Amino acid sequence: MRILIALLIAMSFPVYGFSAEKAAANPEGKKVYDGWCAQCHGYKGDADSFTKDVSLPQPRDFTFGTYKFRSTPSGDPPTDEDITKIIRKGNPGTSMPPWTRFTDAEVKAVVEHVKSFAPDTFAMERKPINIGNPPKASKEIIEQGKEQFKIAKCVDCHGKTGRGDGDKGWQDDFKTDWGYGIAPADYTHGWELRNGSTLEDIYRTISVGLSGTPMTSYLDSLPDDKRWALAHFITSLQLTRKLGLALKVGRVESLPSKPNDPAWEKVDYLDLPMGGQLMFDKREFTPVITNVRVRGLYTSKELVILLQWTDKKPNDGSDGKPADSVRIQFPVKKHEGSELPYFFMGTSKAPVNMWQWKASDKEKVFDMTAKGPDKVEPKDKAEATVMATYEDGLYSVVFKKELKSAKDDPVFEIGKFIPFSITAFDGRNGEDGLTKGAVSAWYYLMMEPPTPMQVYVFPPVVALGVLIAGIGLHKSLRKNKKG
Amino acid sequence: MQKIYPIIAIIGLVISISSVFKKSPFFNFVGLQILIYGLLKSADYIMPALPAQVILMYMAMSVFSFIIYFSIQEETFKAFLEPMRSLFADDNKKFLRLIIAFIALPLFAGYLTYAKVKPTYDPPVSARIVHPEPPSQMDFKGKTMNVLGLENPLRKDTANFAKNVEEGKKIYYQNCFFCHGDDLDGKGHIADAFNPVPLPFRGTDTIAQLPESFVFWRVAKGWRGLPAGSGPWNSSMPSFEDFLTEEEVWQVIMFIYESTGNKPRSWE
Repeated sequence: MRILIALLIAMSFPVYGFSAEKAAANPEGKKVYDGWCAQCHGYKGDADSFTKDVSLPQPRDFTFGTYKFRSTPSGDPPTDEDITKIIRKGNPGTSMPPWTRFTDAEVKAVVEHVKSFAPDTFAMERKPINIGNPPKASKEIIEQGKEQFKIAKCVDCHGKTGRGDGDKGWQDDFKTDWGYGIAPADYTHGWELRNGSTLEDIYRTISVGLSGTPMTSYLDSLPDDKRWALAHFITSLQLTRKLGLALKVGRVESLPSKPNDPAWEKVDYLDLPMGGQLMFDKREFTPVITNVRVRGLYTSKELVILLQWTDKKPNDGSDGKPADSVRIQFPVKKHEGSELPYFFMGTSKAPVNMWQWKASDKEKVFDMTAKGPDKVEPKDKAEATVMATYEDGLYSVVFKKELKSAKDDPVFEIGKFIPFSITAFDGRNGEDGLTKGAVSAWYYLMMEPPTPMQVYVFPPVVALGVLIAGIGLHKSLRKNKKG
Repeated sequence: MQKIYPIIAIIGLVISISSVFKKSPFFNFVGLQILIYGLLKSADYIMPALPAQVILMYMAMSVFSFIIYFSIQEETFKAFLEPMRSLFADDNKKFLRLIIAFIALPLFAGYLTYAKVKPTYDPPVSARIVHPEPPSQMDFKGKTMNVLGLENPLRKDTANFAKNVEEGKKIYYQNCFFCHGDDLDGKGHIADAFNPVPLPFRGTDTIAQLPESFVFWRVAKGWRGLPAGSGPWNSSMPSFEDFLTEEEVWQVIMFIYESTGNKPRSWE
């Protein structure tokens, strides 16, 4: 009899079994997953997929059962809401986009399917931590957070100014549980913080950590107020990104002496979003330089252009990997109308002039004419000079050029929009200083001409005229009245 | 921000109506102008927003026509001018006169002049042609192909349809999705680095308008094949003949149609 009951229970098990069976029973989840998730996360959820070699950060392996982005304490699996949030909002700075096209029912079914890859993990109870009310931002709390940043050793990995350049973050054993290397987050790039960039997002990340990575949970080791202070400090590090098409270059009497001169901070800037170079062999599918900030100034004689970007681990080429490098290009011919050379290295019909700086040769400008990636000719004499610094995870490279141009040089005319584009290379990421690197589109720089005299003269003259007319009217009306 | 304009229109209406009761044609005029301005600016609730130039023109017309209207009868015109006359002449308006006539008005005129003479610098704009005209013939790795009338040879192989689409999916996610997006919506991981931004395949504006051979030409030739009017110098679309075989290009085309639910245009 007992055997019979056991047999009955065993037979009924697949029908009433645990979540994995339930998920498999919902074909909708598998259908959407196979259609729109499997390309990266794998049909079996193991991230062995089409994009495994061409995406960075790599897609999550669901069979592992470890989730970086959660609202639950470290060691616990994420809640369904956590997974739903990632599907709906995506992970900034990764290939995981926000999926807005699917219905709530479809997303729910996908969540069940995702969970079914690690059924044991999701068998336990899951409860988010309490976020509570954030304290208001103030100078004091940010200052406290800055102290905590050192005391709690955040600085060891994330670096002094939060660019992810800390020494500890770049040792060989700095790896994830999945076995690959990982870079500490760059807090200055708020727009690409995977787990969100708001104060609450940062607080949550500090509190529960990122499971499977060296980012541990501080829920028990730091009291609530200190975590909030840290979150305030970290949020305060975020850059305000300024996107646009043109950079205005102001005129000054004397130029800042160094690339990291504080005087540069007051100068107007333009942020260039960077993407992998995919047009020519060798292609760069996994760029890590995602933003280059450009500034410029000019005097009566010279033009200087400052390029700044995060590089968490500088590379001068001495370890066998290519050296870090940056390149700026301009059309060789004076730019007329809307026609331009190709935005990456020009063509034989429309060549470009390129100035390249390499970390292996810090004081030299490699001045070249390019008629396409396979037709690059060095120039006899460099027309520009360069100065470079690396400080707290930030490269600052200044190119300087006399406004007077030699025959084959780009023409820098005041008041004209001069096209330029940037290519930046991270040697540690295997970027070769040639084609494999991060590229920008064409942008323009414009040396602002001095304000024309009429701007100072006409408005006061008109204002005075109106005033005199008003007084005249007043006088004549009074006269009439009296008369 | 536009939400404020209907409120402005209502304020104008209130001023206008109340000044009718107070028998003050000047403030009626001011109220009407505010009402009309508010309405013109709120037009974008029901239609595409009016350009600033058009609004300026309508306002000028409205100012002139209402001045004419208020000046037809001499009595009304006198009453219309009264507030202005009073501002400039009356003894009890000294303070108001100083503020409005002798300070605000000259400053406003000066500001208008400044806005007019201040030089503005705008970078050159480049228009985008979403569907550049393809050539009638193209060269694919040394093979001459007629773009017009060309059919996707894989469509005939109905037995292997699913296999070809799956191959296309793999090619898409190893070559295209960085820009054109995981969801084929043109919002790929690095899409914002390029100008013009990569096009979406979802929706009815792009591949849904084209026969597959045109798409083959765009994929195979990329930026290099674009006519000058389409700004090849800005395009980040690779020439995929450098990276993919003919069959692979047809496969990826099948995938982008299949996964967006779009149908290629036929040659009829």
